[in-house]
Amino acid sequence: MTLIVENLSKSFGATSVFSNVSFSIEKGEIVCIKGKSGEGKTTLLRCLTTLETPDGGSIKINDRYLYKEDNGGIQTASKDNLQEIRQEIGLVFQSFNLFPHMNVLENLMLAPNFLNKRSKEDIEKRAEELLKQLGMEGKGDSYPYQLSGGQKQRVAIARACMLYPSILCFDEPTSALDEDTRGQISEIIRSLAGQDIAIIIVTHDNAFVDEIAERVITMSGGTIYES
Amino acid sequence: MKVFEMLIPMTIEGLKTTIGVFLVTLIFSIPLSIIVAKLRMSKNKAIANITGTYIYIMRGTPLLLQLMFIFFGFHFVPVIGFAFGRYQAIFIAFILNYTAYFAEIFRGGINSIDVGQVEASTVLGLSKTFTFMKVILPQVIKNVMPSIGNEVITLVKDTSLVYILGVADALKAAKSVSNTYSTFIPYIFIGFVYLVIIAFLTKILGNVEKRFSYYR
Repeated sequence: MTLIVENLSKSFGATSVFSNVSFSIEKGEIVCIKGKSGEGKTTLLRCLTTLETPDGGSIKINDRYLYKEDNGGIQTASKDNLQEIRQEIGLVFQSFNLFPHMNVLENLMLAPNFLNKRSKEDIEKRAEELLKQLGMEGKGDSYPYQLSGGQKQRVAIARACMLYPSILCFDEPTSALDEDTRGQISEIIRSLAGQDIAIIIVTHDNAFVDEIAERVITMSGGTIYES
Repeated sequence: MKVFEMLIPMTIEGLKTTIGVFLVTLIFSIPLSIIVAKLRMSKNKAIANITGTYIYIMRGTPLLLQLMFIFFGFHFVPVIGFAFGRYQAIFIAFILNYTAYFAEIFRGGINSIDVGQVEASTVLGLSKTFTFMKVILPQVIKNVMPSIGNEVITLVKDTSLVYILGVADALKAAKSVSNTYSTFIPYIFIGFVYLVIIAFLTKILGNVEKRFSYYR
């Protein structure tokens, strides 16, 4: 299993967002998490990507614990491990959050260059490859403000893929897209799944769920149902 | 034209002080103010409060008073038996004062950056320091340039306050010549000198803003 979530719970102060959420995902699977707004879909995604720390339960990615249940509390992976496990799971934000002062190539290469695990040549080659794959060839020198919503999203996907993640999460990927670009994003997501990346999509767009999901998890009333 | 025979060399001497105080203040207070802004925003209440008090005192009292306090103040504390020299006092007062103003500008600038920038950096595995230096700060500098420019221009004129410690700057030079020859001409002359300096600075500040205009 690529991702195993067990008994995960999260609350903000006295308000419980969700509790005892468990599910697992295999490599190459496309899983949609749907539910009305305010049901905690995005919070769940933020827990998976360490932007929020859950209150209880565990998250295991490729057999390594990101969070581990510990006497009713929760234990986060050690600093070195955290850094590595975090790279296994990428996130494409709803608003993309590209770095506006860097061009597309710089956006892509910033993190891998900082992490310094591969040579500069390899990193640049990977960036060019991803841009080609995503139909963004020749856009390396463009700045985010010069791109359309769909193009920004593809840059955000490429940026996440630069770290070779085994899981890629999408927060409301269709919210900024028109009909044409929606078709393109499903195609891209399927091809990523074809490369053995597990895909988690948080969305309330039912048409998109019908189009792309292999499995659907519904969040409602602080817990999840699988259908 | 005897007035100018005295005025020009004295103005040049005075400008050395004016420009010296200006440059030293700027070079030290800008980097310091970024650190102070971060401390002001610290999650540690004690650090945030101490920094807040420092900023309050620096912005809440006249720079003239601060100059006097730092130079003369220590003479009244016999136990220490220590006092700053004139130029030391001037640099300390100006740097402390301007750091406080710049820090508030940078704090506003840092707050104006979308939290999504930090979140994206976190998910990509960037460290906090790296994120601040490479992702946040460059965007902050673009946003705060107009306000920083304002303060920089004020600083040029504030340097004239050093007269209180008996140091001759460009304005003091004009005053001396005016007294000697009982004429108003030196004041008009020095007014133009300030305008020339500000015109030059405005040009530089404009160029810096332009350098950041490659993105929106």
